[in-house]
Amino acid sequence: MRTKSISTRMLLHAANLMVIFFILLPLAAVFIGSIQSEKALQADTRRVLPLEFTLDNFTVILSKGQQRGHIFEQITYLPDNIKNFYAACANSAIIAVSVTFLTLLFGSFSAYTISRQRYKWMLFLLQANIVARFVPAIVLMIPLYVVMRSLGQLNSLQGVIFAETGFLLPYAILILAPYFDTIPTELEEAARIDGCTRFAAFIKIVLPLATPALAACGVIVFIISWHELLIPLILNARPDFMTLPVVIASLVGDVHVFFNLMMAICLLALAPTVILVVLLQKYIVEGLAAGAVKG
Amino acid sequence: MPASRFALFMNLPTLVFLALVLAYPVAYAGYLSVHRVGLAQLRRGVFAFSGWENYGRVLTDPLFWTAIKNTLIFTAVTVGSEIVLAVMIALLINQAGIWTSRVTRFLILLPYAVPPIANGLIWTFIYSFQFGFLNRILLSTGLIHERINWAGVPDTALYAVAVPYVWRTLPFAIILVHAALQGIPRELYEQAAIDGASAWHRFWHITLPMLRQILAVILVLRTAFAFAVFEEILAITQGGPGDATWVAAWYSYKITFAPPNNFGMGSASAYILAFMIIVMAIFYMRVVYRRVTL
Repeated sequence: MRTKSISTRMLLHAANLMVIFFILLPLAAVFIGSIQSEKALQADTRRVLPLEFTLDNFTVILSKGQQRGHIFEQITYLPDNIKNFYAACANSAIIAVSVTFLTLLFGSFSAYTISRQRYKWMLFLLQANIVARFVPAIVLMIPLYVVMRSLGQLNSLQGVIFAETGFLLPYAILILAPYFDTIPTELEEAARIDGCTRFAAFIKIVLPLATPALAACGVIVFIISWHELLIPLILNARPDFMTLPVVIASLVGDVHVFFNLMMAICLLALAPTVILVVLLQKYIVEGLAAGAVKG
Repeated sequence: MPASRFALFMNLPTLVFLALVLAYPVAYAGYLSVHRVGLAQLRRGVFAFSGWENYGRVLTDPLFWTAIKNTLIFTAVTVGSEIVLAVMIALLINQAGIWTSRVTRFLILLPYAVPPIANGLIWTFIYSFQFGFLNRILLSTGLIHERINWAGVPDTALYAVAVPYVWRTLPFAIILVHAALQGIPRELYEQAAIDGASAWHRFWHITLPMLRQILAVILVLRTAFAFAVFEEILAITQGGPGDATWVAAWYSYKITFAPPNNFGMGSASAYILAFMIIVMAIFYMRVVYRRVTL
């Protein structure tokens, strides 16, 4: 290892501090904004760190607008969708968990056969998945809205789950297929000789070996589903079927802008995926790299 | 079960999903784009064939061309800066023996965890003319003396949306470049050091050529996704001020889902957007993917 001169080290430290500042700036903003009152925000428009802090923004969201605390005492108007916070959380969780499960299940089926068998139509399927990853959601959402509307499937969780699973399957297959390539075939061949069916050999032998890839793919799919806005925004407009991102989007252009309340709900919405990313960083890094470049 | 039947059985769910959620909607969008479809027609369920009329109306709409222009600027700015920043930051976190690099490496993935719509709202707060975080920081450090309406002025609005977008999507690019850096043989650098090559020389003649393929991957993927940017636009500017931040996906969305709800024209404009992106996708599949090994 070459040793670095003091000036080089200083320069690298400075560069790191700039990057860290850039990464943390929005996270600091959302945190500080969420524990501040509207009044404090407006009283001094130059101060970066406010003098007083409050948890009232969280209280009003978590009590569905019932407990207003000090800062919302005199405010008569609150965005209606704030009151749907728990329903939105539940919808988001149900959708993200179901989408992750279905995508991993069907994705691993496909990725395994794409990795093991070289039929012409399988290569075509892989290529279709690569192209499908590029199709912008807006192109699919206009016809899907028309179809779901005529089928009476607007405002339902299963409609969103179905659409998101279809949308994410190609990506999951691209992440999983290269991993199955690295699992030697000898084990499943031995199991087949012992009388296992192909399917049993896959479930009992191959799938357990693929746990790291399933974890990587699963956490990425969960995060994308938890973040997804356009699909539930267009399909589920009724308040009791909204997901968290849709509730957040509904606060944009509301008659009155409550910045602090918005920051509090944003913080609540980003907390689960931030925790996932911190805990499962290694898997996410591997999954992202595999999904982008390995064929 | 023979192998071929097994393969079909295993891929049946995927084929069903691809058919129902991708192939059919894409075909149906094509159908809608050549029919007259508004809310009234949706209620009755009868669409009159209108030929190329929707495409004609989209292509002669000045707002559509503004949206395309903005999309191109947005894509060029975000993808260009992401590639430069990704290489710089990946090299930075790759430095051994610098403890702040380890801190950066630990934090680098955090923006990936933030929902795009929340990211947009957070930056709306940061940019806020009166109460915003950015003006507060710049005023209190004396860098500016007058408040700046970052997202509310046509000159800066598109860039004000580009920064949050880069913030959120940069980790992906950094991770790919950082992974590729690990694949460069150490001997190349050792040989160059013996030959007395300067740091800049090593970067230009070893690192950059070895990163060429991964940079191509990032270029194509990020271009395709930046072309369809939506959430940050919705949260920060809603296309405004005026038409300064109307982009292609926003155009399709507004034409379709805001009154007078022209589904036919919306589909036509989305088709044009998809066509441009699919050209990139085919290029990616043929030229870039598969050739790259990490």
